[in-house]
Amino acid sequence: MRARDLAYETVAALDANRGRSILTVLGIVIGIAAVIAMTALIGGVRQSMIEQYGLSQARMVSMWCYYDREMTIEDVDALSKEMSAYYEAITPVTGTSETVVVGKVKKDAQVNGVYAEYSEIQNLKFTQGRFFTKKEVEEEARVVVIEQSALKALFDNPNAEAVGQAIHIGNDDFTVVGVIENTSSVGMDDWITVNVPYTTCIKRLDAWSDVSQVYGLAREGSDMEEIAKYTERWLARHFKVPEDERESSIYVLTMDSIIKQLDTMIGSFQALMLAVASVSLLVGGIGIMNMMLTNVTERIREIGLRKALGARRSDITGQFLLEAVCLTLIGGVIGILVGFGAAYLLADIAGGAVSSAVAGDSSANITPTIDMQAVMLATAICVGIGIVFGYYPARRAAKLDPVESLRYQ
Amino acid sequence: MGLPVIDIRNIHRIYESSAGYTHALRGVSLTVSKGEFLCIMGPSGSGKSTLMNILGCLDTPTTGTYLLEGLDVSQLEDDDLAEIRANRLGFVFQSFNLLPRATVLRNVTLPLTYTDIPVSERKIRAAKALASVGLPPDFFEHRSNELSGGQMQRVAIARALVNDPAVVFADEPTGNLDTATGELIMKAFRSLHDAGKTIVLITHDEEVAAWADRIVHIRDGLLYTDEEHKRLIESRGLA
Repeated sequence: MRARDLAYETVAALDANRGRSILTVLGIVIGIAAVIAMTALIGGVRQSMIEQYGLSQARMVSMWCYYDREMTIEDVDALSKEMSAYYEAITPVTGTSETVVVGKVKKDAQVNGVYAEYSEIQNLKFTQGRFFTKKEVEEEARVVVIEQSALKALFDNPNAEAVGQAIHIGNDDFTVVGVIENTSSVGMDDWITVNVPYTTCIKRLDAWSDVSQVYGLAREGSDMEEIAKYTERWLARHFKVPEDERESSIYVLTMDSIIKQLDTMIGSFQALMLAVASVSLLVGGIGIMNMMLTNVTERIREIGLRKALGARRSDITGQFLLEAVCLTLIGGVIGILVGFGAAYLLADIAGGAVSSAVAGDSSANITPTIDMQAVMLATAICVGIGIVFGYYPARRAAKLDPVESLRYQ
Repeated sequence: MGLPVIDIRNIHRIYESSAGYTHALRGVSLTVSKGEFLCIMGPSGSGKSTLMNILGCLDTPTTGTYLLEGLDVSQLEDDDLAEIRANRLGFVFQSFNLLPRATVLRNVTLPLTYTDIPVSERKIRAAKALASVGLPPDFFEHRSNELSGGQMQRVAIARALVNDPAVVFADEPTGNLDTATGELIMKAFRSLHDAGKTIVLITHDEEVAAWADRIVHIRDGLLYTDEEHKRLIESRGLA
């Protein structure tokens, strides 16, 4: 039998049992929808958590140490010198909160003081202008790079031309040199974020501390786990942290390590959901098998006829197996669509709930991730279920005796 | 006449069931030449269906040989028999056995899906077969369950012809039809015979049997020629 004939038979058979087919695949639809909604939501939650750590690149390392004393800029200098084999760029981060004024608009802002390398390390995306340069950092220049949300809040227009404009931060006038995309999806509208040169932040603004955090960008192709280990060791040596105090005084985070932490946290939840989904898929599969068995019984005479006309066992097996696989695949496609729909709906409801809980117009957004791997896996699972639960009925049909089947009433 | 189309020698068929053994065929030999119109007659329980199933390669004999166009098919496996049915045999059943929701054309091309005949050729062959049984093209796209009994049986005959078989088997082809329609169907068989087709007809109806060139009788698993059968009836005083 040719593929074309098989396809024809399958479509004809499914068409003949439309109502029953749809009811039967519901189990598969629910199972697949659960898997897809779960992976999409968990992916979204994971993404937003990773963004909250400010780790936007795989090669990025976030570090900090506090033992007897706080980290200073001298420590950062020593780190960048001694660890230059591992890091392409390093920046200290300091910060403060200030009131930003543009004309009559006043906003509370989180001010970050960073090196010029921050842009590269964070892989910032610019919508206008540029980041400040090394020279501007050396010269304690009064330049500022604002986020897109700040642009909207300060200039009342997300498309306003901000580069070259003066804004007032603390007691000084700063010139806007660039606008970047929002770095965190969990932003609060009343709190804007602006970046100024590290030196300027220390000298002209009231920085909280010398160094509140250090970001490094590992050299291309490095083993992140190794780098984290070396960095931790270096910090321990540099700050003379005893073995048993390391865990509480040093932290070195990489994207990998955060993802690992998140994944162990998410893992157990995921396992539970998967168990529920597999029960649904199992029940769905049994439903398919039941329907296919009924189908075979109803069509015994047709099977007998086909065999009399020259159908081989493999032809009959193929026909019924393809029918089962098509059923589960249709269920899978519907399930995938329903799953994504449910994920967006739930994310919306969850986002709304967080917003109202925090009060005001803060918006916590979870954007479900559309993971092609999950879609492909779901499709593969459907095909697998179709084959596993369709095989027995198909085999039963193929083994029927043509003489007996033709006589069957 | 050359090689016979069907040549069976000393065929036995024994069924094994929980009730014991049934000896359905007890040494049957028969040859059918190319172009012959043969009728096998017999009452129910005579072994008629068993013989028909073996001749039609739907079943294999317990012992004995069956040469179909010179090829020994008596010991073939299921799938090999299926291939022979697909390519060399045609069947017409008492109850038509059409796919009710499929079109006439689809029903007739159905056997070709189990052969190597290319898709492009199938419709042409089906149209030819339908023309040879006198079904007009207007009906080709009708669903088979919209047809009358006589039309359905003609579609079924066309289906049996579409693979250009060595033999067409017809098992009580008029059993579900009224006399007038039955006669039309038998006329169709007769014209196929005139066109050179080899036909094996199975029936218990003498009027139907009369359309054939040669009649053989089966009784209790044994085969008799027409004359032998007459003598047998006379000697036993059977009606």
